[in-house]
Amino acid sequence: MHFIGKDIDQYLSQREYVDTAVVPLLELNLNPSDLKSSAGASEYLQSLTALLEKQFKGRILLFPPLSYTSGADRERVAEEISAEMKKAEFKHVFYLTTDAAWRSVEKLENVLWLPAIPTMDMDRNFKQSVMEDQLRQVLPLFLKEWS
Amino acid sequence: MSNNRVSRRQFLGYTLTGVGGFMAAGMLMPMVRFAVDPVLQQKEGGDFVLTDQRVDEVTEEPVRVDFTFEQTDAWYVSEVTSSAWVYKEGDKLIALSPVCKHLGCTVNWAGDPEQPNRFFCPCHAGRYEKNGQNVPGTPPLGPLDEYDVQEQDGYVAIGVVKANTLVV
Repeated sequence: MHFIGKDIDQYLSQREYVDTAVVPLLELNLNPSDLKSSAGASEYLQSLTALLEKQFKGRILLFPPLSYTSGADRERVAEEISAEMKKAEFKHVFYLTTDAAWRSVEKLENVLWLPAIPTMDMDRNFKQSVMEDQLRQVLPLFLKEWS
Repeated sequence: MSNNRVSRRQFLGYTLTGVGGFMAAGMLMPMVRFAVDPVLQQKEGGDFVLTDQRVDEVTEEPVRVDFTFEQTDAWYVSEVTSSAWVYKEGDKLIALSPVCKHLGCTVNWAGDPEQPNRFFCPCHAGRYEKNGQNVPGTPPLGPLDEYDVQEQDGYVAIGVVKANTLVV
């Protein structure tokens, strides 16, 4: 489910089934030289999480990307978001990111780091198949966590 | 010259009735037109979407067929990719919607290796038979929806979604 009014109504009535939160972590880097790769990573992360939501609509609540600046203190971001997530009492919380800085942050559990693939120049069908390949890498991690 | 002459009174009566009738019709016609408008409206989105799946390659084993259409969400037009599970029953093409009737996850054919002849929903282990019938005891409460499907120049074309007609 998406973090929109209509889906939240359904979430509130089906809480026992929707037990997993997915939070994309997105770095904003507006240096002229990094702007394009930052935007490409954003596109990749959002297409991937949208596909993931389509597959697991009835079990995950997909949050809008948590965006932070390139200089942000990841430790602090981690503390704040995990404290906020605790309030909603999800059984599982996944963080998806393309930002390598998260690999050294210990405070967050279940951070799935994926290298961003620049999909902007691909034609639609090719992009679709690339993204589905990417999705297939992520699905088993969810199924393993749930089992 | 006929004998029953039209009197002045009769003539005026006929004329007024005729003119009045036209005026009443002029008022009623637009009203009737408004009332029946929904029936006359042309259906949008009732067309079939051509996929790149050849009909002669479809077997009795369901295969996933993707198709793309334009969806208008208020002012925002986006291209949406959906899929269907397509198989043949004898010579008849059948296309089932992959959307689980429990909470809307995507179901997979033979998604669970232990039950290779059923659709499986990975979210809450919902199961469906090949015709879309939900397996009792699993979370889904109804059968999978069905798509209108037809053959166009040897390729599968997918139409609108409808309630399952295969389950008795």
